[in-house]
Amino acid sequence: MNLYPDMTLIEIVILWLMRVGAAMTGTVAFSVLFRAPKRDWLACGAAGSIGWIVYCILTDFGMGVVMPNFFATATLTIFSWWMAFRRRTPVTVYLVPGIFPLVPGAGIYYTAYYFVMSQSARGAAKAVETMEVAGAITVGIIMGQAIVSAWLRSTGKKRGIAPLK
Amino acid sequence: MSLSIPFSENMQNAAPEHVGVMQLSSLMGELLLKNGGEIYRVQDTLNRVIDACGFPNHSVYVISNGIFITINEGMPDACSSVHHVPLGSVNLSRIAEINQISRDICAGRLDRDSAYQKLIACKEPPAEQRLLMTLACAFGSAGFSVLFGGSLLDGAAAFVVGLFLQTLLYFLQKHNVSRFPVNIVAAFAVTLASWFITRLPMKFTFNLVVIGTIIPLVPGYALTTAIRDFFNGDYLSGLIHLLDALILAFCIAVGVGVGIRLLRFLGGGFLR
Repeated sequence: MNLYPDMTLIEIVILWLMRVGAAMTGTVAFSVLFRAPKRDWLACGAAGSIGWIVYCILTDFGMGVVMPNFFATATLTIFSWWMAFRRRTPVTVYLVPGIFPLVPGAGIYYTAYYFVMSQSARGAAKAVETMEVAGAITVGIIMGQAIVSAWLRSTGKKRGIAPLK
Repeated sequence: MSLSIPFSENMQNAAPEHVGVMQLSSLMGELLLKNGGEIYRVQDTLNRVIDACGFPNHSVYVISNGIFITINEGMPDACSSVHHVPLGSVNLSRIAEINQISRDICAGRLDRDSAYQKLIACKEPPAEQRLLMTLACAFGSAGFSVLFGGSLLDGAAAFVVGLFLQTLLYFLQKHNVSRFPVNIVAAFAVTLASWFITRLPMKFTFNLVVIGTIIPLVPGYALTTAIRDFFNGDYLSGLIHLLDALILAFCIAVGVGVGIRLLRFLGGGFLR
């Protein structure tokens, strides 16, 4: 199945390089803004990129906006916990910068934009979509954490890691 | 009953050790909460640390801007503290440092006095690093502008506006403007600045430049923390953070909206 019928291979490679590069740059920049430890900058970038890659693949398959956000957030949450256990760092360090590509900043903008341009119907639709995306992110984080804590309950005890609440 | 014991005797019973643990744990909780730790982390850390110091009879309650600790409840030497913690700015490396200190205390690698000294050192405000922060804001804006579908040219424009945004934020911070007006003013200024930049005779997309540069203002941190608080059953703190996120998002929308309105009024049909 060809997802990009109108594009040559080189164009597809460039598209993905731009996507991953942008996600990496943006997330690393945010980990700096939130003063994450220096050794975790790249890992934060990786968390953001993984979330964005999952999101892009699923939107390319035509899954709309809400489901990709859900799966991307869940993947990103699991990755963040994995990094947190490996490096013995609080999971917040990876989760907060990593989630920024998915947070509906564009949704907030377009909502305001359409309302100001007197296109209330489109504005309302955007507002609802923004809420839906926020909801998908919520459920994504919750599912991710649930999977991690189930995994911990089965393997964590052996390694002396306390399970999540 | 503690009421039947005379005051002086009560004071004698209050071992300094136990007050020391109280000071240590409340400072630790304050620092964690102020630098953006989620409620469950603060509560769990304090419970572990007080346990490790040898006081199993204790109770810790944390909400997003306060910490309540009681040690030896119901005993003659009961001791409790109520601590108000105003919301601070997020500092992830502080959270990681304090996490490490609490691990060391629990593993018995660190005694209480040196732990306290380390915490005092953590209390110092972090190095300013203005240049780094400004560059980070600019690169972040550029990255997100491209991420949402902008060209590299849009990214470059967002980079410049991002530099402007962080400078503006430092200026507003210097004049002690509170959080909500800061977001309105910054979103408004960013909209105007993006418009000026996109007047250059090149192929910019105004919307994507603005979106990239408002991302540093978007309350992603508050949203994430709110969700994780809900997950852990801390509904009150979760609601506080969620409300914070919603109000901040609303402020950004107002700032952008007013900016676009103004441009539309002045420029007439500036948007394609």
